[in-house]
Amino acid sequence: MEITKEKLLSFYETMLTIRYFEEKAVELFAAGQIPGFVHLYIGEEAVATGACANLTDKDYITSTHRGHGHLIAKGGKLDLMMAELFGKASGYCKGKGGSMHIADVNLGILGANGIVGAGQPIATGAAFACKYKKTDAVSVCFFGDGASNRGTFHESLNMASIFKLPAVYICENNMYGISNNQKNHMNINDISDRAAAYGMPGMTIDGNDVIAVYEAVKEAVKRARKGDGPSLIECKTWRHRGHFEGDPGVYKDPKEQETWVKKDPIIKLEEKLLEHKVVTKEEIAHLQEEAHGKIEAAVEFAKNSKDPSLDELLTDVYAG
Amino acid sequence: MTQMSYVEGLRDGIRIEMKKDSNIYMAGEDVGIFGGCFGQTAGLFQEFGGERIIDTPISETVIVGHAVGAAAAGLRPIVEIMFIDFIGVCMDEILNQAAKMRYMFGGKAKLPMVIRTTCGAGVGAAAQHSQSLEAFLTHIPGIKVVMPATPADAKGLMAAAIRDDNPVVYIEHKGLLGFKGEVPEGEYVVPLGKADIKREGTDVTIVAWSAMVHQALAAAEALAQEGISAEVIDPRTLAPFDKDSVLQSLEKTGKLVIVHEAVKTGGLGGEIAALVADEGFDLLDAPIKRVTAPDCPVPFSSYLEAHYLPSQDKIVKAVKEMF
Amino acid sequence: MVTVGIIANPASGKDIRRLVSYGTVFDNQEKVNIVRRILLGLAAVHVKRVVYMPDYYGIVPRALDGLKSQDKLPLEVVPVDLELTGTQEDSFKAAQIMAECKVGSLITLGGDGTNRLVAKGCGNVPLLPVSTGTNNVFPVMVEGTIAGLAAGKVAGGSSNHPQAVRPSKKLIIYLNGIPVDIALIDAVVIKDVFIGARAIWEVQGLLQGVFTRGEPHNIGMASIAGNLLAIGSKDKAGLALEFGEGGSSVTAPIAPGMIVPVKVKTYEKIKLQQTVKLHHTPCIIALDGERELAIKEDDEVQIELTFAGPSVIDYKAALQ
Ligand SMILES: Cc1ncc(C[n+]2csc(CCOP(=O)(O)OP(=O)(O)O)c2C)c(N)n1
Ligand SMILES: [Mg+2]
Repeated sequence: MEITKEKLLSFYETMLTIRYFEEKAVELFAAGQIPGFVHLYIGEEAVATGACANLTDKDYITSTHRGHGHLIAKGGKLDLMMAELFGKASGYCKGKGGSMHIADVNLGILGANGIVGAGQPIATGAAFACKYKKTDAVSVCFFGDGASNRGTFHESLNMASIFKLPAVYICENNMYGISNNQKNHMNINDISDRAAAYGMPGMTIDGNDVIAVYEAVKEAVKRARKGDGPSLIECKTWRHRGHFEGDPGVYKDPKEQETWVKKDPIIKLEEKLLEHKVVTKEEIAHLQEEAHGKIEAAVEFAKNSKDPSLDELLTDVYAG
Repeated sequence: MTQMSYVEGLRDGIRIEMKKDSNIYMAGEDVGIFGGCFGQTAGLFQEFGGERIIDTPISETVIVGHAVGAAAAGLRPIVEIMFIDFIGVCMDEILNQAAKMRYMFGGKAKLPMVIRTTCGAGVGAAAQHSQSLEAFLTHIPGIKVVMPATPADAKGLMAAAIRDDNPVVYIEHKGLLGFKGEVPEGEYVVPLGKADIKREGTDVTIVAWSAMVHQALAAAEALAQEGISAEVIDPRTLAPFDKDSVLQSLEKTGKLVIVHEAVKTGGLGGEIAALVADEGFDLLDAPIKRVTAPDCPVPFSSYLEAHYLPSQDKIVKAVKEMF
Repeated sequence: MVTVGIIANPASGKDIRRLVSYGTVFDNQEKVNIVRRILLGLAAVHVKRVVYMPDYYGIVPRALDGLKSQDKLPLEVVPVDLELTGTQEDSFKAAQIMAECKVGSLITLGGDGTNRLVAKGCGNVPLLPVSTGTNNVFPVMVEGTIAGLAAGKVAGGSSNHPQAVRPSKKLIIYLNGIPVDIALIDAVVIKDVFIGARAIWEVQGLLQGVFTRGEPHNIGMASIAGNLLAIGSKDKAGLALEFGEGGSSVTAPIAPGMIVPVKVKTYEKIKLQQTVKLHHTPCIIALDGERELAIKEDDEVQIELTFAGPSVIDYKAALQ
């Protein structure tokens, strides 16, 4: 499968944007400018990027508590996201949601989610709507290794399979649910093994290789659009930081951390692009500068925005 | 007596009971080496080992469900649901299993189990990590519900909850975990169903629990400056509810303000008001007031959240309206 | 002491072919069961010691764990001393160590890819490759018990059938004059620059192919060769071809369930020790069905056909 230079560059740009957005969030959180919980996706950017590169605005995703990457990869606007992290009125959710609840329904983003495993039924429902309305849209569900132990995983995959829904379940296996290592929370190594139990295809892929993720999800999306039903794709990856900001991650083996940090998906792609002369060092530097610029502008926007007005407390509880 | 934080108090309660009875064990997400999301179980894994302090998968349904089965089979599980907001995931296990088994079986089953969980807003954790859902639980006969407000109560109620032969939901307030106070050393039990008068007064009765006890105490202090003597009653256990303490206080004061962090509609405040209207109407010389969160989810923005929460000022205002 | 090695690859049977070609999800628990039967087979023919490759799932320890209800297994089962990387390296290194400690035979569980890695390290230890992958030509479908009996007899020297152990062919890949890799079945050149999801499942972009063997009943790339000019595992010849218009067209099962027309510009039978020059760079070379080598524009690549592949156990002959 040949991938155009344009596409490769867009992968790189998206991953950089996610990385810089979150590095900024680390800084702002440490400085006390962002309240609440901040769960970072640093190290896992290739999954959202490779997956969402196969989607259009008509397709749906559901995200998780670790959602910044999914949202950015699906086209979420940086300024509105950043303003939401600050809890400002101009944010995606008028400051009512925060990092863990950002959504943009017009872009098919059915929300980050504070409840682990809650995205699975919702993604299944969005897939149901796609099929019911006979659009050729698909629904992609991102969730963690830990979330695959929720009952919702079982119920969702089973329903999607019997209804042949256009859904792609993407498990981001970073090998931990907070402090609990995968070895202790399930008795299998490859979560894709579970697909067989639902009568759907399952596969495992290197989640730090954006091209591999792109290719795999492309095939799953193709199947879904054609009416062949759901698939389960497990992406093996690693979060570089603690579960949330403030967690020093003492439960991780430092050696393992080191090996995975060396497999940083952004560096891996950068090396490949340089090696194959897809880009020059100068172009890389330029892209980095551009990405930093976008983040700075978003922070500026957020800082200059107002707090929500008090009336907002009681709006949006009901529609109409 | 010794100085302890609320979290140390509840942990001390667990430790003392666990040392005495090997049938007690604890299971939940990240309760082991991680020591709990807010450090509640720190050190217990080291002290009691992995056989008694057990990390589970993210599977609330079976965390609570297994406790029902284990308790019915003779153990005394303490299980953790990290945030009370996640209780929806295991509601059937609470509502239809834990709460009903004994009754349905004609008294033949005993379910000595504790569900520990955290509640409360104020830390920017937004709508799915900040709720106060105690009324959900008090609406279910068969479940006991406790919500300590001080380190000593945290310890004593924990011991009582563990010793009780019924399913008890023990709700810790996130904002109180670091709160320090005097705690009795060694074994210490606060009986379930017994309110505590946190401040005596003569002009108005303020019933408040969990974090709101401290807002009520601050309000009482402020009211005292203005010549109003407020009595603050902390029921500590919400089910069963100690109505006698409230009625006795009303005999003195004739005025009732109920404060809770949960939203107003369907909150436990309504039930207490109804109870007093029913059994203590003659004691009242003013309409009952409730100070609660408004009927909306907990907002993320710190600014909105601060206004969302019931506060000392709102309590003072409500009390003054009665005079 | 009669010793047999076991290399069971936990990663085989999970790649993208599950999505694109209805490949079986071969879960690791099934590999555990196969290993149990192998161990019982080995014990029955008086093998005293088994050395195995440790892996992140623990296939062999789990197999032992499940044999607790059996009377004590009369053999010692020990892991080779290997620092796990969770990559392909593990199979290669384990094979090397087993060859050094002179195992009498070696049983592998995996597909062509796994065996290629083992072949790189196992020297002249006879292999009994048990199929658990999807695109398999090299390993055979054989019941675990039978595999244990056959490999045990070969290791113990109690099988004296002349056909019990046979040599096999292999391709040696030279990059700028230096041997860098091997293939047991085929090396296929693809117009691409990235390795991505590893497997090949499309005919677009195929440029060149070199085959040690290929028969019409094979699955995978070898089937293309097989449909042009069948060459068996014992024939002292191979095949080289150029894909493209202007020559013949064959219909071949290039993956499970994927029977597609393939255009071949030219093809020729090649002799042992003949080398084939690669004339399209940059490109990717897929070895035994997996994209492995990224070749840069000014690299020079030659592929040599040899009969220096691993010795392979014919289980039917071995048991006669
Ligand atoms: C139903 C539910 N249970 C527990 C939690 C607390 N919690 C938040 S994130 C998390 C770990 C999730 O692990 P995983 O699904 O692997 O995602 P990761 O954090 O690794 O991305 C837990 C236990 C929650 N938010 N919701
Ligand atoms: Mg995880």
